[in-house]
Amino acid sequence: MNLTTFLLALFDGVSYAALVFIVALGLTLIFGVMRILNVAHGSLYAIGAYATVSLVGWVLALGAAPILAFPLMIVSAILVGVLIGGPVEYLLLRRIYDKPEVLQLLVTFAVFMILEDVQRLVWGTQPYFEAQALRALGNVTVFGVTYTVYQLILLPLVALTLLVGLRFFLRRTVTGKLITATTEDREAAQSIGIDADRVFLLTFVMGAILAGLGGALASPTTSILPGMGADMIVLSFAVVATAGLGQIEGAAIAALMIGMGRSFAIYIWPEVAVLVPYLIMVLVLLVRPEGLFGSPAARKI
Amino acid sequence: MMLSFKDVSASIGIIPILRGLDVEIPQSQTVAMIGRNGAGKTTFLRTIMGFTRTTGEIRFDGKRIDTLHPPKRPGLGIGYAPEDRRLFSAFTVEENILLPAQAAGLDQAETQKRLDRAYEILPELREMAGRPGGQVSGGQGKMVALARALMLGRKLVLLDEPFQGLAPALAQRYSEALRALRDSDRSVTLIITESNPALLRGFADRTLVIERGEIAEGAPQTEGESA
Repeated sequence: MNLTTFLLALFDGVSYAALVFIVALGLTLIFGVMRILNVAHGSLYAIGAYATVSLVGWVLALGAAPILAFPLMIVSAILVGVLIGGPVEYLLLRRIYDKPEVLQLLVTFAVFMILEDVQRLVWGTQPYFEAQALRALGNVTVFGVTYTVYQLILLPLVALTLLVGLRFFLRRTVTGKLITATTEDREAAQSIGIDADRVFLLTFVMGAILAGLGGALASPTTSILPGMGADMIVLSFAVVATAGLGQIEGAAIAALMIGMGRSFAIYIWPEVAVLVPYLIMVLVLLVRPEGLFGSPAARKI
Repeated sequence: MMLSFKDVSASIGIIPILRGLDVEIPQSQTVAMIGRNGAGKTTFLRTIMGFTRTTGEIRFDGKRIDTLHPPKRPGLGIGYAPEDRRLFSAFTVEENILLPAQAAGLDQAETQKRLDRAYEILPELREMAGRPGGQVSGGQGKMVALARALMLGRKLVLLDEPFQGLAPALAQRYSEALRALRDSDRSVTLIITESNPALLRGFADRTLVIERGEIAEGAPQTEGESA
């Protein structure tokens, strides 16, 4: 492996890890607070991508500047979180918090199946591609390797900002503290006047926005087509499980490990590249069943 | 009447714990609720906070609260310190104390006023304000839980077995703090559960004895000793 391929693999890995991390962050936040493994997270990711492509395509067709694609990504993510995430929590999940985990898993899986068909109904099965945002930022050359600014700088920067921002939000802001307290002890939180129902709704919407944002940010880098949600949910599950459920910083490191593992495998041993994320997960879980940073009993975020 | 129970039954899951209670507790009374483990003391307090399946009618300060969403109840002026103290380990001692005020959306000035009052009653907490909530001893934790309950408990404070597991010196300190609380605000109503009646002798205005989910009026000095 020469320097050029090494750098290419490294850059691929970083940009891929950033995207996976953003999605996994939402998944681990929801799990950490609500103890629900949300399979429908993958659909929210896919719908975030579809919504962005449609919205950006529509606005740019009106003659707007390509740079406008960025705020539109955020708008799409928020729409996905509020319009889909909100009702899913309020109408469905709220009724099953005290039910067995198997049932919760089945319900979120059902939501996933429904949303997959909704995507086909709304956007059809033809792939979409809309890379205006990617082109708008241009390229950068590092040691002779040319890479897009969007993937090499913007995506990791967004991921890092979300990591630091979420940590700050949960520890330092009043709303974040109420979420953290509810995570640790729901009844104790309610007994001091924290409305756990509202905390759960807010957390789920935030997690859904992160999934939608992951999709929105991924949209200029890939073809948007049916099945992308399923791929991403499996991958972000691997990240979250490797890190330890509910571990925010851990998810960042696990995403890097898995992103790097996958991208280096593509250059070195492409046949197994798809397998690598799961191999990493299996190896980590064999040694530490609670994940890299998880602890068996404590419940924190 | 500050707090009244009318034919209140409560169950946890499908197991009935409290049976047809009728109790009235006037304002500014200090009530000792005595009973063996499993008699229903904790359930009585948790029923006021809304954590049990309840039938019957509970009124607080003239308002029906049994139908009120549990997290809305502390905002009416009810503070609750559970037996196992349940501090949040992610936060410092002071952050733990402040949380109820933040959840209720009190403004900065009012929050500070209430925090100062809590520190006045429990001055030793000032020194450990910055300690993580998970790193205080059991006894200190009870003090923190009391301070936290005082933030919203302007009218009614519920303390679940506060003396359980306290070293004698700390128990002494804790009861001094309770006296300081009563002296600072004569209007506050206190309900303290305890399995050992001797600990509350001379402090409570009234003793209620709870036995198999039913409440009886107890004569504090005599019946208490035989229990």
